[in-house]
Amino acid sequence: MACEESLKTQAYLDGELDAGQALEIEAHLEHCAECQALAADHADMKAAMAGATYHRVPAALRAKIGNMLDAEAKVVPLKVPRKTGFWLGAGSGAGGMAIAAALAFLVFMPASSVVNDLAEAHVRSLMGEHLIDVASSDHHTVKPWFAGHADVSPPAEDFKAEGFTLIGGRADYVHGSRAAVVVYRHGAHVINLFTWADRNTRLPGASSRDGYRMVFWKQNDLDLAAVSDVDPGELDRFVALVKKSQSRE
Amino acid sequence: MDEKRRRFEALAMPHLDAAYNLARWLTRGGAEADDIVQEAMLRAFRSFDGFRGEAVRPWLLAIVRNCHRSALEQKKRHAAAPLDDRDDMETAAEDPTPEANAIRQGDGRELDKALSALPEEFREVVILRELEEMSYRDIAAVTGAPIGTVMSRLARGRALLKAQLTGGSHGM
Repeated sequence: MACEESLKTQAYLDGELDAGQALEIEAHLEHCAECQALAADHADMKAAMAGATYHRVPAALRAKIGNMLDAEAKVVPLKVPRKTGFWLGAGSGAGGMAIAAALAFLVFMPASSVVNDLAEAHVRSLMGEHLIDVASSDHHTVKPWFAGHADVSPPAEDFKAEGFTLIGGRADYVHGSRAAVVVYRHGAHVINLFTWADRNTRLPGASSRDGYRMVFWKQNDLDLAAVSDVDPGELDRFVALVKKSQSRE
Repeated sequence: MDEKRRRFEALAMPHLDAAYNLARWLTRGGAEADDIVQEAMLRAFRSFDGFRGEAVRPWLLAIVRNCHRSALEQKKRHAAAPLDDRDDMETAAEDPTPEANAIRQGDGRELDKALSALPEEFREVVILRELEEMSYRDIAAVTGAPIGTVMSRLARGRALLKAQLTGGSHGM
């Protein structure tokens, strides 16, 4: 039968009791055989645990994390609030409430759920919670990263010369499936290029939601969507570039 | 290096070993520990602005634990049977320990196996208490469990560990 004081004895042995409580337990220990056994086990365990493996981080991983954080430190300015009216002050409390209100509004939109999913994922990424998992302007870095983190291999070419700079990638969810997201910057705007496996679903035509424009297309067994608040003409130009790079693959 | 990065380097990076150790023990030595620690450090860095001078280590380890939980969730969603997990379990559970009272004589490898075989809710408190030497309060902060629960899990975890190490015959 378990002694009622056993947890308190354990706390005493772990050095968690104050002086007054410690005296009480010491008195209890003098006549409780069960707690005496507990104390003996505790000492044994402590000695044994000295032999347990403490996993120190390998030097290569430590360096990798350092580099990742350096890159992330440079990414931060991208997450400044949008200059579109609605997003003014998105970093403030009122802005946060406005975002919550916008998300609540999205939920009740009786429109295609994929459009809603993408709008939400896009807004989430802009809220600075989760824009980029792998930060790099090199598609030789971004593309292989997806091999281990997404179900599809998305196009991830840099179009810097055309004004669309590759800044990284992340894994996200769209419409219940894992999506690879390649992130571009165009001036002050962010473009999220979502790619997920085609499951023979019909995609919506070009759509707008809360000032964000979305263009959908299918190519090479993939469903793709580009989402951004850039000018519609610029988004179309971006989509044309991606399509061209895909057909080269 | 900007100011935030420098502060993070000075306050959080000294606990990188602790973060990695916890990730390795939570994943039972799995290779996904690398991903978990990277993800955790990234999340920690991103939310570092909101961090207000409480103890860094419990805060960081709570993030590691959350990353581990969400990796598990994801794995569950995408594969019905996480094979590597089960493999670990079996290697940990088999290999009978012939010597009785291994607590006294057992070498580190035996102990590692016994620790790996503990169910996660007990394993994490034992690791945090015994390897990180954290206070009950900090363990509660990492695991999100009340202190009373931490205490009872710790007692149960230690009893299970003792039972493992002594051949399973002296469980309390």
